[in-house]
Amino acid sequence: MPNMAGILELSGLTRRFGSVTALDDLSFTVASGRVTGFLGPNGAGKTTAMRAVFGLTELDHGHVRWNGGAVDPRQRRRFGYMPEERGLYPAMLVGEQLQYLGRLHGMASGDAAEAATRWLERLDLAGRASSKVSSLSHGNQQRVQLAAALMHEPELLVLDEPMAGLDPTGIEATGAVLTEQAHAGRCVLFSSHQLDLVEELCEAVVIIDHGRVVASGEVDELETGGLPRLSVRVDGDRDGKWARDLPGIQVSEVKGGEVRLVLPPGADSDAVLDAARGAGRVLAFNFERRRLSEVFREAVRL
Amino acid sequence: MKGFVYPIVAVAILLLVVRRLRSSRQPPGRSLVRRLASSLGSRHLAGDTGLVAVREVRERLRGRMFKVITLILLGVVAAAIIIPTLHSSKHAVVKIGVAGSLTASQDRVVAAALAHIGLHGQFIVEPDLGSARNALRTGQVTMVIDQARALMVETPVSSSSTTTASAATVIASALGSESAFRAAGLTAAQASTLAHAKPLAIVSQAPRQKGASRGTAVIGLVFIFILLTQYLTWTLVGVMEEKASRVVEVLLATVRPVELLGGKVLGIGLVALLQAGVVVAFALILADAVGSNILHGTAPIVVVASLVWLVLAYAFYSWVFAAAGSMAERQDQAQSLSLPLSVPIIVGYILALVNAGPGPASLLIRIFAYLPPTAPFAMPLLVAKGEVAWWGFLIAVLISMASTAAVARFAGTVYQRAVLRTGRRIRVREVLSRQ
Repeated sequence: MPNMAGILELSGLTRRFGSVTALDDLSFTVASGRVTGFLGPNGAGKTTAMRAVFGLTELDHGHVRWNGGAVDPRQRRRFGYMPEERGLYPAMLVGEQLQYLGRLHGMASGDAAEAATRWLERLDLAGRASSKVSSLSHGNQQRVQLAAALMHEPELLVLDEPMAGLDPTGIEATGAVLTEQAHAGRCVLFSSHQLDLVEELCEAVVIIDHGRVVASGEVDELETGGLPRLSVRVDGDRDGKWARDLPGIQVSEVKGGEVRLVLPPGADSDAVLDAARGAGRVLAFNFERRRLSEVFREAVRL
Repeated sequence: MKGFVYPIVAVAILLLVVRRLRSSRQPPGRSLVRRLASSLGSRHLAGDTGLVAVREVRERLRGRMFKVITLILLGVVAAAIIIPTLHSSKHAVVKIGVAGSLTASQDRVVAAALAHIGLHGQFIVEPDLGSARNALRTGQVTMVIDQARALMVETPVSSSSTTTASAATVIASALGSESAFRAAGLTAAQASTLAHAKPLAIVSQAPRQKGASRGTAVIGLVFIFILLTQYLTWTLVGVMEEKASRVVEVLLATVRPVELLGGKVLGIGLVALLQAGVVVAFALILADAVGSNILHGTAPIVVVASLVWLVLAYAFYSWVFAAAGSMAERQDQAQSLSLPLSVPIIVGYILALVNAGPGPASLLIRIFAYLPPTAPFAMPLLVAKGEVAWWGFLIAVLISMASTAAVARFAGTVYQRAVLRTGRRIRVREVLSRQ
């Protein structure tokens, strides 16, 4: 059960770097109690938006609010941040590093020591407290970075690509922690390019492109919205060539032998079936809702 | 005996310091450094700046660099103090063989003559002339007084200017006068008065040279230069590494830039002060033990002035170097930034060393003593030469402090704007123009 409620609100954020507009009147809200995915192609402005939450980039316009109030430095102590490029002191001991960061977030010395031990155990790093950060593998350094963001039980957790470069176990562990944090009532926003993962973990997403929101909302709603999909599998077919020239019908995705087609209103599905049959034995022919990857692609018009 | 005690104490203190530092390496230790650090780091005392400073002190003290440099400095200081005293004490005692006997009056005039040139005579009575010659040949004595009639030395003294030669000359002259006074029929008391006649004081027109103070000032200059260069490099590289490793992004998400920068400068400054303190304490104890003259006269004031200016110099420059570090992400970028910043340090240092010889300070040094970038070198030198009044010193300190405040403000702005901009080297103009 959520035991704290908070809402993060970004409104009208605008940031220009010379001639490049990184954020263009960007506005969205993130509710607590669920994991929100933050999506967008490279250079869409995700990192700049996340940095803006922590005052790490100067804004030309707009403001960030937490529970309706302006975010001040004291408020930020209650936030947890995992930047895109990992930031730890390479020569510092893992345990001390976590305690130091915990204390900078206002924890008492004893609490910080206790939290460091707990999080290292939770992330399968027990026994590495006295290791130098630089002696850990990339994946383990990333776990330490995650622990650093969680040490002080933040009300808001902002993670910039927390799963990038992790192995499947690492991804699973990180995903479990994020879900757990959200279920504990915290506000969790994370960015990722792994759309399958986001689909699995997130109840809500915000998709941005060129510094502005192009789609946002509950994953379920976004997936049921838009034109229906027709998923077709033809025996022995890998590239879906048969579907390319169907009049008025667009190929959405071809992946692992599955051809996904966008059916506009009034389109003739029988014609599709005939074309599929002509290519080989039809193994599957289903009407489905949009996938998140399709929502994303259609939103950013790739 | 007393001479042996002090070096032992100094070495014991040194060992204790090194052991303390080593024990702080073990994580669960309760070393002095750790306890000091944790009490300093408590939020009530110093807030985030304190936490940052404590981390800095702890990590620096743990590093090998600190220990190596401390040991090198101690070695250099020990050499600078001990070597000159070894040189002078070797000739302090002149062993004089006496064949036959000397009267009490002769004894006294020899001792007085030697004392006048800073030597001390030790008489060794020989049973006869043969054994006296023998002692002279084997080097047991450096000269022999034969029945107060002749003075024998091993090698001719005419062209030599060694201590033995000057001792022989003054003894010969004193004993000659003494026997002449007696031959002239003077009473023992009259002869003694004449033999002990005090030469007139020689007054020079130029001011008295403060040799000891100047020696101390030179050691101080080298010391300030080494420590300053070392700690400014730490500040520069430390800030650069925080930027390069992106840890600064995590830190600035919760700490204000001014607190982070202030903590770093403070922490490294404390380490510098600790190191300077250890070296100076070691130097004082050692100098006292071996009877060195580096603390004679006004030298203690020079030591204090040097320490004051080390602190002021670090305070002034550390901000500048930290700001430079925030503009770099790689070692080569840091180097090209630090080079122009080091120019005033090097100029001040070299100019002060050039002026450290006898004679009045040049006009340039007198001007430099009031300019914050060069004052750390020029002002202690003026103090050593006795060429600055207390109010002049105070004015220079105040100018330096005021400039430090201005520099810190400026550096804080540069740091804040530059430290989060990554990917390429940032130019000063960009930082100042703010887009």
